[in-house]
Amino acid sequence: MKPALEFLIKDEKVYSGALSCRGCGWSLLVRHLASILGEDTVYVAPASCFSIISGPYPLQELKANLVHTVFAAAPATATGVRAALDRQGKKDTTVVILAGDGGTFDIGLQALSGAAARNENILYIVNNNGAYMNTGIQSSTATPYGAVTTTNPGAGFKRVWPKDLMGIIAAHNLPYAATASLAFLDDLRKKVEKAKHTQGFRLLMIDGPCPPGHKTDPAMSIHIGRLAVETRLFPLFEIERQHYTINYRPVKNIPVEECMKHQGRFKQLFQPENRHMIEEVQAHTDQYWLRLEMLEGM
Amino acid sequence: MKKENSQNSITLEEPFLDSPRYPRHVQMVMKGNYAAAEAARLCRAGFIPAYPITPQTTIVERLSELVSEGKLDATYINMDSEHSVFAAAMGAAIGGERVFTATAGQGLFYAHEVLQAIAHFRLPMVVCNVGRPSIPWNIWSDQSDSLSQRDTGWIQFYGESSQEVLDTIIQAYMLTERVQIPVLVVLDAFYQSHTSENIWMPDQNLADRFLPPIQAGPMSIDMKQPKSFGGLLPPEYYNKMNYSFWKAMNQVEAIAEEIGIDFGAHFGRPYTNVEAVNIGPKTRLVLVTLSSITSTVRGVIRSYPEIGLLKLRLFKPFPREAVRRALAPLSQDAIIATVERNFLGDREGAIMQEMKRALYGLDYKMYDFFAGAGGKDVPPETIEKIIHRAFQHPEEANWVDVD
Repeated sequence: MKPALEFLIKDEKVYSGALSCRGCGWSLLVRHLASILGEDTVYVAPASCFSIISGPYPLQELKANLVHTVFAAAPATATGVRAALDRQGKKDTTVVILAGDGGTFDIGLQALSGAAARNENILYIVNNNGAYMNTGIQSSTATPYGAVTTTNPGAGFKRVWPKDLMGIIAAHNLPYAATASLAFLDDLRKKVEKAKHTQGFRLLMIDGPCPPGHKTDPAMSIHIGRLAVETRLFPLFEIERQHYTINYRPVKNIPVEECMKHQGRFKQLFQPENRHMIEEVQAHTDQYWLRLEMLEGM
Repeated sequence: MKKENSQNSITLEEPFLDSPRYPRHVQMVMKGNYAAAEAARLCRAGFIPAYPITPQTTIVERLSELVSEGKLDATYINMDSEHSVFAAAMGAAIGGERVFTATAGQGLFYAHEVLQAIAHFRLPMVVCNVGRPSIPWNIWSDQSDSLSQRDTGWIQFYGESSQEVLDTIIQAYMLTERVQIPVLVVLDAFYQSHTSENIWMPDQNLADRFLPPIQAGPMSIDMKQPKSFGGLLPPEYYNKMNYSFWKAMNQVEAIAEEIGIDFGAHFGRPYTNVEAVNIGPKTRLVLVTLSSITSTVRGVIRSYPEIGLLKLRLFKPFPREAVRRALAPLSQDAIIATVERNFLGDREGAIMQEMKRALYGLDYKMYDFFAGAGGKDVPPETIEKIIHRAFQHPEEANWVDVD
């Protein structure tokens, strides 16, 4: 697959002036989402960077209803919204959760699992930028191994592996779940389109660039996102019930450090005493890819 | 009228139907929890998120039956926790549905965060709480759960009987949809929830004539006019929002009183925010109560002509005007004693705190009596102990039955 060049959105469903940082993935993601999902959509957002980006009162970025809710329970609030719309015959209105990794991997996991297990007719979007960025870069269980956050006492960087959210989601036997990247817009848009037209609980996990949190150059957000896919740090795949499909197979075997070296959060791993951690990330990445290929072949 | 086989309720035969006492009612014997569930049916609740917790569970069980039997057209969803129950209730209320659920103790504590959000979103809904305390584990009657949530912005009613719980839930929907503030209706664990009483069950037409279908409010989703609900509110707006909430809350006492009278006109059973029994210039002592302890006090004071009773039905916002009016006939040296089935970690219980606040500036002798926490029975003898203690060198706060 070649990187998408056709990135202009023809039918914009957001207003200008999103309050995101330079190089943030949220704004670009929401523009693409909204252009596909349209105005017949109710968005539900737990606390996250997007709570701010979408605009403090009286501002509103989206040309659709947006319900802000408590951090731990976006899937529960969305369940209530869905039920109300269904009762009023608005079965075609899409209910979409826009959450970060903290609200998904950590505090919101129980409500997510509950809604997924009930197969609620909801589309869940998680913008995974690998830490609590809205509160200033604290560790989440999505934070990568070896990444610096402001809450890693002692070592200063994370020494345990992130949760395999997609594995947890797959265990719920859902109609549709997929990963996507802003560096692969055709693939992302296709997946949003597919998710929109699937009934039941769907989840898309998007790799979220975050220059302040990842300590990267804002101009490099898309480039680094592409490297994350090319190095297999962020593989693109779909899960339909028990069936896995890998959507993009990198042609070259680019080492993970080619992606990590652009990110200040991994700087310390390039010190001689920590180099072995990069090797561990490489081994973990290779193993995960191998597992994906095996799952795909099943 | 056919006889129901259900073990939950017994419908009596013809002679009781359309009694001259309450036309278009059926007399039944029913536990408090089933009365609460039947009230939700009469109000045509459309969305019921559920999670089990003793001693509330039979409410959501009965609602599940009512929905599956086709007697209630509601969307019933088993949630993953009480936190999620209330978050789902919030979503459906924003979606414009009439919401009902029930909880108790830990469930209400767990939902605390969402209680705040629902109230400050100004969403109408009615929730039934069957009072029980926290850890160490205790499932028995105690009002510490709901009373500890009195600052969340919810209106709170306490029902003395199952009939009152049923009737109050119907009134609560009228109130919540009029003032756009959520309502908690509280009943006592086991003494009410699992105890059968005589109930006059109104027929559906009567309920429908009283309570119209829910209307879209200012906080309802409108697909034609999309809005952002509950986003970041800067200080200048936040303060204004609280001001408008405060103004609405100040009207609740009068509106609840009006709805209680209107309910009486429809159903034959009028209600007031507080009830005064035997309070006059010769009354030497007034016992202040919530929920089922009230009935015990009613019985005891029949033998004590100099003792009165003040029952609080509306507790939040505290019915200050009604309380002051009710106590106005008292002489200068009358004693006010509060009976607390709650302990909130302070020197005084919740009822005394509110009473002192309401009576600020008036010179009553006021003594607080802790009795019955964690389900400890409060029999007539305990009430008599309180009466005697109140006249014989009481402390500012007193514990009975702890020796």
